[in-house]
Amino acid sequence: MTDFIPVGMGEFKIARHPSCLVVYGIGSCVILSLYDEKNKIGGFSHVMLPDSTGIDQEKVNPSKFADTAVPMLYEKMAEEGAFKSKLVAKIVGGAEMFPPTEDFNSNIGKDNVEAVKKALEALKIPIIAEDTGGNRGRSLEFDLESGVLRLSVLGEETREL
Amino acid sequence: MEDITNLTRTQLDALREIGNIGSGNAASALAQFLNRKIDMAVPSAKILDFKDIADLIGGPAQSVMGIFLKVMGEISGRFLLLIPEKTSLKLLHTLIPGCELDSPLNMGEMENSCMKEVGNILAGAFLNALSVITQTPMLNSLPSMAFDLSGSLINYVVADMVAVSDKVLMIETSFIEEEEDLKIHIFLLPDPDSLQKLLKSIGVA
Repeated sequence: MTDFIPVGMGEFKIARHPSCLVVYGIGSCVILSLYDEKNKIGGFSHVMLPDSTGIDQEKVNPSKFADTAVPMLYEKMAEEGAFKSKLVAKIVGGAEMFPPTEDFNSNIGKDNVEAVKKALEALKIPIIAEDTGGNRGRSLEFDLESGVLRLSVLGEETREL
Repeated sequence: MEDITNLTRTQLDALREIGNIGSGNAASALAQFLNRKIDMAVPSAKILDFKDIADLIGGPAQSVMGIFLKVMGEISGRFLLLIPEKTSLKLLHTLIPGCELDSPLNMGEMENSCMKEVGNILAGAFLNALSVITQTPMLNSLPSMAFDLSGSLINYVVADMVAVSDKVLMIETSFIEEEEDLKIHIFLLPDPDSLQKLLKSIGVA
């Protein structure tokens, strides 16, 4: 029996095969997946915002922000037995869900994607797949046996990343 | 900035009453527009963890029509209508003569502007009532619309409101048509720095 583990906004989870990490309804958030193929261990971080600068560090939830969530998932994966040098990243999400109007124009999705990429680059983690931007919601399943991400979008066929 | 987790029972009750009056006005506008009797669920004013918002409408993976407007004025915030797929089709079939749309994914220009107008009318009626009670003019922005997963739409609307706290203050209500299950969820999220003004204007600061 596969155990489906949902990862909510601002959360991160790490799991091994035969568990499966899932996220439903990704909007402007970015899902960072890290995977160690040899140890079949993977993690999702559900990043909501680009930058925690200026927020009281005692109150901040590090897994909400790209600048803190990326290093955190990286360190926690290593604690759970993943090899840091084997970790590869895939990133998904960062959509702008509502078309901009005169009074509301947000780039939050794009900012999230850029911030996650910057944080990955600082840790020298390679990005091997990406499905970001646009204006559609996404859902994801992480197969921890193969490292494949199954991506679904409303009204479209499921794709693999 | 007011810490919303410190709101008292009385303040929440007063906010719920605001929701009651606003959505009452919106319900009669909708009833007039559709020429049908519309019932209203008892509104709630809640302090919610952002992770739990989607549960109010059946989880993050529902296909819904979202209409999003900004509330502008001295008291500002965000106004979100979430309309389940079935209801949005029913609204379109009722409002556009000869409309045979089978999925909101195939909406054209006509259907788009029709749904936006529904949002405009409901938000306008809701905020008009609020302006009167608070004696503070509140206007809505032009509506923006998307048909997608409930979780994705909510995520986008609340993300930058929950940088510091995990909690949002939300006035929520739904409409149900008398016989058939026409369902519309209304969410009003006051901006955190407008909350004090809002409370003051209704005498519970």
